[in-house]
Amino acid sequence: MSATENEEDSHGSLVINNKKLLMWLFLGSDCMFFGTLISTHLIYRKLYPESYDPLLVFDLELTSFSTFILLMSSFLMALAVSAMHKGELKSFRRNTIGVIFFGLIFLACQVYEFAHFTNEGLTLSTNTFGSTFYMMTGTHGVHVAIGVFWLLCLYFYSYSGKMDAHESAVDVEVAGLYWHFVDIVWIIIFTAVYLIEYIPGLH
Amino acid sequence: MADTEYTPLPVTPVSHKDAETERYHTFVNLALVLAAITGVELVLVYMPFHPIFIFTSLLTLSLFKFVAVVAWFMHLIYDKMVLTLAFGTGLVIATGTFVALGFLLSREWVDVDAITQF
Repeated sequence: MSATENEEDSHGSLVINNKKLLMWLFLGSDCMFFGTLISTHLIYRKLYPESYDPLLVFDLELTSFSTFILLMSSFLMALAVSAMHKGELKSFRRNTIGVIFFGLIFLACQVYEFAHFTNEGLTLSTNTFGSTFYMMTGTHGVHVAIGVFWLLCLYFYSYSGKMDAHESAVDVEVAGLYWHFVDIVWIIIFTAVYLIEYIPGLH
Repeated sequence: MADTEYTPLPVTPVSHKDAETERYHTFVNLALVLAAITGVELVLVYMPFHPIFIFTSLLTLSLFKFVAVVAWFMHLIYDKMVLTLAFGTGLVIATGTFVALGFLLSREWVDVDAITQF
């Protein structure tokens, strides 16, 4: 498959790009990974509802802000991919740096949240809630950090003069898929872990 | 970093650019909808409605956001069906695992007191 055929794949040609197919397969397997982490947290929460009251430490405003930031970063990522397909390098750089900035804000919020929880006495070894919560949100945080690093690499690479609208558009699109996946995982975590705790009488 | 390093990219066909411009408007609208839904979710948990109603609403809104991001931001509706299958397989297995574990490890089946004592 030539580079040109690869680039045209997402826009209606007959070929399937190998990089994209591989990324989608990886995301499918990552779904199973996060599915297990979220399942474990929810099942232990159901089995031991009295082990810990997360409302003692949760800050819904902060988490909602993080969610909003991540959603907007996904929007900028979609614009960055679109800009690359149009061959607009400056627009790609502008949007990508926005995504990186929002990703760093999200990570800062998570670090603040973890520090706050630890100060309140909730650690990885406090109880099952702490173990499953930190494992799940920490793994998600690592995914965000990898995404930020990946986008930083692409951003600096765009100054090398080696980027072309054919092969590089696919590379940016694959990075975008990863970033959007991180976003959809957080959409589920936000509802399944944070919001449902605020519903009175559910547990 | 200087802009002198900037190399103009090869010209893209006009019809391709039109399609991308059309998508731009879709992305803007979707971003606004997603932000609004997150706001609704935040307010919903404080409303004096029945817990089941709130739970169902949150689940529906969350699924809508999930599907919207996958379909439009991740371009799945514009791409080949095989990519949907590749992702969908993982998603189905993940959901199946969750449902199966939920049933297997429900309170009716697990002796929680025995585990706690152990």
